[in-house]
Amino acid sequence: MMDRYTKLQLVGIYAALAVFLTFILLPFFEMFMASLRPLEHLFRSPYQFWSDDFSLQAYKDMWVTVPLLGRYIFNSIFIATSVTVITMVFVVPAAYAYARLEFPFKNMSLAIFLGVNMFTGAVLLIPLYRVLRTMGLLNTYWAMIVPGVAFLIPTGIWLLRSYLEKIPRELEEAAFVDGASRMYTLRRVVLPLAVPGLIVVSVAVFIGAYAQQFLFAITFNQTRELQPLPAGLFEFIGYQSVTWNEMMAAALVGVLPVMLIFLFLQKYLVAGLTAGAVKE
Amino acid sequence: MATLNLNAINKSFGSAKVLHDISLAIEDKEFVVFVGPSGCGKSTLLRIIAGLEESTSGSIVIGGDDVSDAAPVDRGISMVFQSYALYPHLSVYENIAFPLRVQKMEKEEMDARVKRAAGILQLTEKLDLKPGQLSGGQRQRVAIGRSIVRNPKIFLFDEPLSNLDAALRGDMRVELSQLHSQLDATMVYVTHDQVEAMTMADRIVVLNGGQVEQFGTPMELYHHPASKFVAGFIGQPNMNFVPANVLDTSGALTVELDGGHKMTLPVDTTGVSKGDMVEVGIRPEHVKLAEDGLDITVNVLERLGGVSITYGTIGNGTRFCASLSGDAPIQQGKNMRLSVAPEDCHVFQSNGQVLRRKSAPALVA
Repeated sequence: MMDRYTKLQLVGIYAALAVFLTFILLPFFEMFMASLRPLEHLFRSPYQFWSDDFSLQAYKDMWVTVPLLGRYIFNSIFIATSVTVITMVFVVPAAYAYARLEFPFKNMSLAIFLGVNMFTGAVLLIPLYRVLRTMGLLNTYWAMIVPGVAFLIPTGIWLLRSYLEKIPRELEEAAFVDGASRMYTLRRVVLPLAVPGLIVVSVAVFIGAYAQQFLFAITFNQTRELQPLPAGLFEFIGYQSVTWNEMMAAALVGVLPVMLIFLFLQKYLVAGLTAGAVKE
Repeated sequence: MATLNLNAINKSFGSAKVLHDISLAIEDKEFVVFVGPSGCGKSTLLRIIAGLEESTSGSIVIGGDDVSDAAPVDRGISMVFQSYALYPHLSVYENIAFPLRVQKMEKEEMDARVKRAAGILQLTEKLDLKPGQLSGGQRQRVAIGRSIVRNPKIFLFDEPLSNLDAALRGDMRVELSQLHSQLDATMVYVTHDQVEAMTMADRIVVLNGGQVEQFGTPMELYHHPASKFVAGFIGQPNMNFVPANVLDTSGALTVELDGGHKMTLPVDTTGVSKGDMVEVGIRPEHVKLAEDGLDITVNVLERLGGVSITYGTIGNGTRFCASLSGDAPIQQGKNMRLSVAPEDCHVFQSNGQVLRRKSAPALVA
């Protein structure tokens, strides 16, 4: 089962991992370091790695500089969660249909979904703006939720469909022979078995929703109280100075809840990626 | 009352025709086995009976009712799948109770039925476990349990033992036969294993290339195979087929076998004439060591204790297998002489059809 590596191969693997992790984690580390320094020390020359005056002052001040910070963090999580829930409501039945049913234009519509993924939201911002204005959704939470859902449904369908296809068809046939309807089978057999897959897809959608909300927020929303964190961070850029240290602190605090959720869901994520690979 | 009648069932997948005009009449309480090589259409036929697959044409009648268009559950059938198809997230109890939950049966009645099925299948101790905690044989029993709680008219089994190891397969075979007599139900069983077919079936359907080659009791198939295919499929080790030249057709059939040995065989000679090529079928267990007779070169000798199986050649390299006594005085690489009683031989025409044997052993039911 497990491949055995030679010492040299192990060294190579860990070296590659180290380079990769450095790349990914260095910005976070730098954010953290910046958030600890007083503002006037940030642009010190020559660069000093260690300062004697590290403090958590920025973590206190940021709530004063930007009074709505708490609200922004809440908005971020609220929007991403709403997008995830609504997306899943659409994705689950759609993915099941694509995994199991035969219908006209099945492959073509799947290809179109993939095509939609190729457009970034940015390309469609102006048409979307007009649509949302016509529907009277500008400057509401919906302005950020609806486009988010629309762009994430295709990804969700593709991910969940391949997971559902791995569930043995015989299980559903057995339920069918015993008289269970499609919906009953979906509820009692398919979805319980797909829980790891559902978690993986939800997490992927959540990440996507969290990442894309910035673009929609600055374009479709002018109401300060509704802004998510990435847009709210702009307020640290003042007329005269940019309080970088507070901005970094706020960004870290904003990401924190999401990181915690991931820490707890990690075992499901790993289970989700391997479950179904081995037949009972 | 649960007879099963198939009337001219045809099935095509696109342009590929997998079943040709299959008509069968299966009696009440009969244990019928569909047997054939992989790809012969046996599983497809079972799935059509179950209602999981629609036939292209033809009708299915169960207990006198035409159920061709009925949903599986309305046909009064239940099915056991090759992979067991147990729900891994549900306990054994819930797995067995699943069909009853679908029916929204009352709790007491459901509980009684599940317990009764568990009792029959010796699963009472295992009801709280998950399928993953069971052995292969126990999982198989759970799958059977799920199929019997509904009291179906007909049980369908799709290669249920093929995932088990050889020893367990033997045990389950006996258990299934017992279950059949206990439940007194009609059973249709699909397998590619002719031993399972011979040991369990009341009657066997041999399928080949989507057609019924023969439908009869195990002993009918063994003693009176209708074709070369059936003759080669039933019996272990497989029957030998030796090419032969027809010398005379008056009364009995006189042939010269590959290798020069001449025999006069008591078969119906209708349809063959002098000079035709036929094949003589000789079962490995019907030959004896002799002073004179078939001249066989022994290439491989397997001594199993009770019997010795030899694999060799006759004449121009025609393969010939013989099953001899355990202490038979033969050696690998040497030649031996074998005799066979003329009435034990089968004769097949070049199109595979059999020439009827005139003197065959009385049929054992």
